[in-house]
Amino acid sequence: MAKENEKDILEGLADREYQYGFTTDIETEFIQRGLSEEVIRTISAKKGEPEWMLEQRLKAYRHWLTMKVPTWAHLDIPEIDFQDIIYYAAPKPKKKLGSMDEVDPELKRTFDKLGIPLEEQMALAGVAVDAVMDSVSVKTTFRETLAEKGIIFCSISEAIKEHPELVKKYLGSVVPHTDNFYAALNAAVFSDGSFCYIPKGVRCPMELSTYFRINAAGTGQFERTLIVADEGAYVSYLEGCTAPQRDENQLHAAVVEIVVERDAEVKYSTVQNWYPGDKEGKGGVYNFVTKRGLCRENARLSWTQVETGSAITWKYPSCVLLGDNAVGEFYSVAMTNNFQQADTGTKMIHIGRNTRSRIVSKGISAGKSQNAYRGLVRVAKGAENARNYSQCDSLLIGDKCGAHTFPEIDCRNRTAILEHEATTSKISDDQLFYCNQRGLSTEDAVGVIVNGYAREVLAKLPMEFAVEAQKLLALNLEGSVG
Amino acid sequence: MSVNDYIASLQRVERTTLRVEESVAEPQVVLNPASLAVEVAAGAKLRMVVVHDDPTTADLRFTLAEGAQVEMVELFRAEAFAEMQVEQAASSRFKLTTVELGAARAAYTINLNGAFAESEVNGVLTVGDKEHAVMHLRTNHNVADCHSSSVVRGLAGGEAVGEFRGMVYVSPDAQRTDAYQQNRNMLLSETARIDTLPQLEIYADDVKCSHGATVGQMDQEALYYMRQRGLSEAQARRVQLAGFVGDLVMQCGCEELCAALLAALEHKLERI
Amino acid sequence: MLKVTNLHASVDGKEILRGINLEVKAGEVHAIMGPNGSGKSTLASVLAGNEKFTVTEGSMEFLGEELQALSIEDRARMGLFLGFQYPVEIPGVTMANFMKLAVNEQRKFRGEEPLSAGEFLKLMREKAKIVELDSKLTARAVNEGFSGGEKKKNEIFQMAMLDPKLAILDETDSGLDIDALRIVATGVTKLHTEENATVVITHYQRLLDYIVPDFVHVLYQGRIIYTGDKSLALKLEKEGYDWLINDYKE
Repeated sequence: MAKENEKDILEGLADREYQYGFTTDIETEFIQRGLSEEVIRTISAKKGEPEWMLEQRLKAYRHWLTMKVPTWAHLDIPEIDFQDIIYYAAPKPKKKLGSMDEVDPELKRTFDKLGIPLEEQMALAGVAVDAVMDSVSVKTTFRETLAEKGIIFCSISEAIKEHPELVKKYLGSVVPHTDNFYAALNAAVFSDGSFCYIPKGVRCPMELSTYFRINAAGTGQFERTLIVADEGAYVSYLEGCTAPQRDENQLHAAVVEIVVERDAEVKYSTVQNWYPGDKEGKGGVYNFVTKRGLCRENARLSWTQVETGSAITWKYPSCVLLGDNAVGEFYSVAMTNNFQQADTGTKMIHIGRNTRSRIVSKGISAGKSQNAYRGLVRVAKGAENARNYSQCDSLLIGDKCGAHTFPEIDCRNRTAILEHEATTSKISDDQLFYCNQRGLSTEDAVGVIVNGYAREVLAKLPMEFAVEAQKLLALNLEGSVG
Repeated sequence: MSVNDYIASLQRVERTTLRVEESVAEPQVVLNPASLAVEVAAGAKLRMVVVHDDPTTADLRFTLAEGAQVEMVELFRAEAFAEMQVEQAASSRFKLTTVELGAARAAYTINLNGAFAESEVNGVLTVGDKEHAVMHLRTNHNVADCHSSSVVRGLAGGEAVGEFRGMVYVSPDAQRTDAYQQNRNMLLSETARIDTLPQLEIYADDVKCSHGATVGQMDQEALYYMRQRGLSEAQARRVQLAGFVGDLVMQCGCEELCAALLAALEHKLERI
Repeated sequence: MLKVTNLHASVDGKEILRGINLEVKAGEVHAIMGPNGSGKSTLASVLAGNEKFTVTEGSMEFLGEELQALSIEDRARMGLFLGFQYPVEIPGVTMANFMKLAVNEQRKFRGEEPLSAGEFLKLMREKAKIVELDSKLTARAVNEGFSGGEKKKNEIFQMAMLDPKLAILDETDSGLDIDALRIVATGVTKLHTEENATVVITHYQRLLDYIVPDFVHVLYQGRIIYTGDKSLALKLEKEGYDWLINDYKE
């Protein structure tokens, strides 16, 4: 089809706005800008934390001071002034929340707008939600139902106070504060996040979900998520994120740690839709996230991510396959448009015997964006019969974008069988013509083709999420065929 | 004929610069070059064998004018560090067969600067004991309509390390690029290690680029099959290993050298 | 030639063969039939010495020697040939090279001089005709990119090259079209003499139209439960195995 035509359609579409770009006008409590031991003490005090937690934060902060910003990713990151960020902002509580009715109505409206069914809808959807607005956890639903099974699902702040033994045992056990620059920062200043513990042999009866939202201006968001599936337990966990449209860049440096004990299984699904910046590349969230899971014997961890938002994404959900027969999976769709940049992928560290991993990554680059897959498959000496299969495909839409693949295989055991394949392609004129001929508009055709391309990954998402993800892909693509 | 006999039969290049105006049918041989700059004029064809027998540093540069053709074989028999840069004008063709028989380090950068330029690299790494062999191979598609293919195979035994770093770069204007990169490896001992990173960096959309990498071990089914036909276990192993790397060497375009290289490889494999 | 007595064999601790008795004499053709999973291919693999299987009881005597004491390759060199159901691809190894090694290993085993390149090529050309094998295939890597039919023809070609005493053909007819089946089957018939013996494992009567068996055995649950002559194969084709199995089931 004629390029001109396509361009018109696309340009029209490009004007579509980020749907979640609104801000919420509620009273917010800030602390002073910048970072120092004093600030960390303030955060810890505001949260009423025990002394040991403060000590851990300070230790992390001191270590962070010795670290340098990582520059190895295929990303062009403007210099970040870490003293120009507000490290703690919270919707100002009128009084302690007792029930849903007491939540600030403006806040409730925000979550309604975001389409988060906090109440009755949630029961129907069977999803328990922990919603984090700016820095604090606002509401955790379904707590009683879960408590009957011994499942703990609450904000990490509450967990620190109410389940210190669990937090002490597991926090930092998978991602220590020394791990990397942003993980150290997070360990020092994390404000809130979710905590989830599934006891031995319990199958969590519903999907658990966290919803992150940055609202206040000039703030960074540093959530900390800790999920522990004890022996033989099972949980499926969903995470969604949005942020308002702002001209300045906002920093989001989260850490997610997952402990999958013997025979347990965790599925972790993310639909990341932070504000990506405007068409000109102004504004947007810097999404620098460390996610890692530790799998013991016969454990299984599956990461599924749909990344459509953020100005810059730096994220490698990984699996340490420590126990024999552990299984790690990573399914990813990363889409970038306009001036977005993404450097994302996974690490599969095979340590136990008969460990298996599978990587399916689908990158989609459009506009002037840069999209990289970066992966590492490492097989340690003792990891007899390790198996990995990786498939990393890139789809380019338009000739101003970039698609890159950096998969490393490091194998030290001869019984391993590791395979990596990657292809790069574009939506062919033949495919478009075929769809046009069957009556689809070019815009619909691109949507159909992209969704088909990402299907293998989308199919791994829980139903409600999959629908949302498909819509997001189509939305984010608008204005990209040329 | 051994590799040495073959080399002895060829015309030797001693100079550090060489300009090839007209096609030369017989291969030229270069031994342990510290530095060598070769220019091949438009339409001319050059065949060359480079052998590293000393643990020295080598800096090689090949410039191919329009339609020029170079077929070369590079053989590492000592722990040399060699860098090679290749500049290719339109419709030129560069074909390299490179074999590291043990510890060595080779870094190639191939620039495809003119339309319809073609590069083909077939590489073999074989390491045993505590050897560490490295091969870096970067192919830059700087303009549209070029074609590149790189196939590298690695065998590591003993406590050896085989390392491959590949990069296919496709610049924003390099539409209709056709690039293929493959790295396959076999680990032959409990303590050997393979580290491979085949990379794609692509800034143009109308391209056909693919790469693949595998790490595996000997095919037990194939060993059983061969033994059922009467080959001893040791023989079956050797046949399989020679097959794994041998077919790349077979494509080097020079029959006498093929046989000599295969023999050298087999000799090496017996010691891994 | 071959005498199997009370043979038991297992894989991963699971017993597949549970007391096989079978005697094959020179000049004979035996067919082994039976439903899927009855142990037919296992029997072939165990005779060839596939290390996946463990013999737990019984004996296998071939030309007066106990097979269990012999390696895979020595069994092969003595003249035991297995035609694979799924011939293995060996990348980078040409057919010609592979066969030359195999033929000369066998000659060495018998105390004969290796064949010269010329003699070998002549032998190869001669034998390739038996199965109408495209001579170009011998320049290609072993089984790599061969069609299903070519792979099976290639097995019989190798059998011709190695001239075995006992050939066990494991479902050599599966996946063949009518022409290829005819070529493969006539190839096998041509190679049959009073000095050697053939065991064909098959699901179908149609192969036995060409290779007429002296005995037809039915294998079920790891045992030979019935032995008849060639008419048994026809009856099985018509009536299936149920009438036999039902008798056998308790």
